[in-house]
Amino acid sequence: MIEVSQLTKRYVGHTAVDRISFTVDKGEIVGFLGPNGAGKSTTIRMLTCFLTPSSGRASVDGFDVEKDSVKVRQRIGYMPENVPLYTDMRVKEYLRFRAALKGMETKKLTSGVDEAVETCSLKEVQNKMISTLSKGYRQRVGLADALVTKPDLLILDEPTNGLDPGQIRQFRELIKDLGKRHTIFLSTHILPEVEMTCNRVIIINRGKIKASDTPRNLIRRREEGDLTVEVNGNQGKVLAALKKLPGVTSVKEEKSEKGWNRYLIDSNGKADLGEKIFDLAVERSWKIREMSRHDATLEDAFVDLVRKEEES
Amino acid sequence: MRTTAIIYMKELRSFFLSPFAFVVMALFTFINGWLFISTVNAMRVTTIPYSLVYNVFSSGWFWMGFLFIFPVITMRLFAEEKKTGTFEGLMTAPVRTGEVLIGKYGAAVTVYLAMLAPLLLFFPVFKMVTGQEDAFHSGAQWGSALILILVGIFNIAIGTLASAVTANQLIAAMLTFVGVMLHYFFGFFVGFATLPDSKWAAGMDYVSTVQHVQLLTQGLIDSRPFVYYLTFSALILSVTWHVIESRKWRI
Repeated sequence: MIEVSQLTKRYVGHTAVDRISFTVDKGEIVGFLGPNGAGKSTTIRMLTCFLTPSSGRASVDGFDVEKDSVKVRQRIGYMPENVPLYTDMRVKEYLRFRAALKGMETKKLTSGVDEAVETCSLKEVQNKMISTLSKGYRQRVGLADALVTKPDLLILDEPTNGLDPGQIRQFRELIKDLGKRHTIFLSTHILPEVEMTCNRVIIINRGKIKASDTPRNLIRRREEGDLTVEVNGNQGKVLAALKKLPGVTSVKEEKSEKGWNRYLIDSNGKADLGEKIFDLAVERSWKIREMSRHDATLEDAFVDLVRKEEES
Repeated sequence: MRTTAIIYMKELRSFFLSPFAFVVMALFTFINGWLFISTVNAMRVTTIPYSLVYNVFSSGWFWMGFLFIFPVITMRLFAEEKKTGTFEGLMTAPVRTGEVLIGKYGAAVTVYLAMLAPLLLFFPVFKMVTGQEDAFHSGAQWGSALILILVGIFNIAIGTLASAVTANQLIAAMLTFVGVMLHYFFGFFVGFATLPDSKWAAGMDYVSTVQHVQLLTQGLIDSRPFVYYLTFSALILSVTWHVIESRKWRI
């Protein structure tokens, strides 16, 4: 659906997007992930023909964004960042205008708009002025606008930006549901969102692609399961014993209170350390009052990837 | 064509649904009404050569008010969309830049014509009410309508360009005002800067709005102003097209 190769956007003094290549297949929900200023919006603007690449190529459904820009745009439903809308229009009127602008036949306008209103649960505000709507509703109007002509591809730039947790959940469900009918390419820096909705994640930082994989693989790739134990026992011996356990890569020690010490254990995540530590404690008669495991999240994977870059 | 019509209708709608438009129209008509009455009164007490039409449109008061309406009509066109971000939504729809430009420009010209209409109606109404057949002849009436439309088309093109170069409506308005003023006063300088037999005089006459107005409000329909205003409007619009496109490759 989307094919990007060696895509670059250069501005004076910096390169916003630096020779990135990726593809998005039909039916996928792909999360485009990166810190602020990583080049997400610039990439999306090139895909939607709002900006022209400095070099490299991008195509949507086989049509080049530079040569066949109108055909590309006919196939995309785009929701820009911060969802700009004509606030002096009423919801239905706005959607009707947008649908007509995108080339929907006049006969189909009414039913098409009604359908989009239905999908995005906008019925109760359909005759209200957009200026009076809350952020959550505006976001849904933006989404309704993107999907009103039933395009094959939806490109959503930070669709849940500025929503409250309840609205984010609703929106996520909506996107998942839309994924059944459309290919979706969404950018965000909210990680749980990606973890829950996307089949695949592309991580971009400083204009370069750092990783492209399923959320699960990205987490696995990190290969670190962190464990915290709070133990009361001979400090030096505990530390040495923990370090000797198979699979442990490093142990950090923190003073707690009166004889208690906390040990932060990094492992390669393959062995079940918890059980071994417990056995060890029983064997050496240490006391354990806390043992907790941090399952790696996409957030860890993301932070790792981005940090690695900054350090190098 | 359909896209242009859709954008045209949307622009008209947003202009006429705001009270602002009507305030400006009312003010413009009021100022001109006052000017019209003053001219009629002046012609009643003293002997003034030339017709009522000529006297109204060669008055500096008229041009003061007239040149002010162009920034008001055009400042929103692109600047507002750039400011609010709707420009991105507009240009990422399957539309061509030319379609957007012509739709918006056409709407602005239509708004202008709607503002001008009451003023042009003053004259036939005056004749009807007073029965003064000699106040002006119909050629002057049509000529003045034509030149005002031509100058309007040109000035709106300037305003459209100004609105496309900035995201700030105020700056767009100032640029437009400076642009239309400079163009208008350029015509005035003809008298100061050149001797009548200078080789520049003919060229300066050609671009002078003051000259055009003098000719056409006397009922002399000269084709040169038509060529001048229409070609330059087209030129300015094509520059505007490039300005809108420039966002794509600007670095």
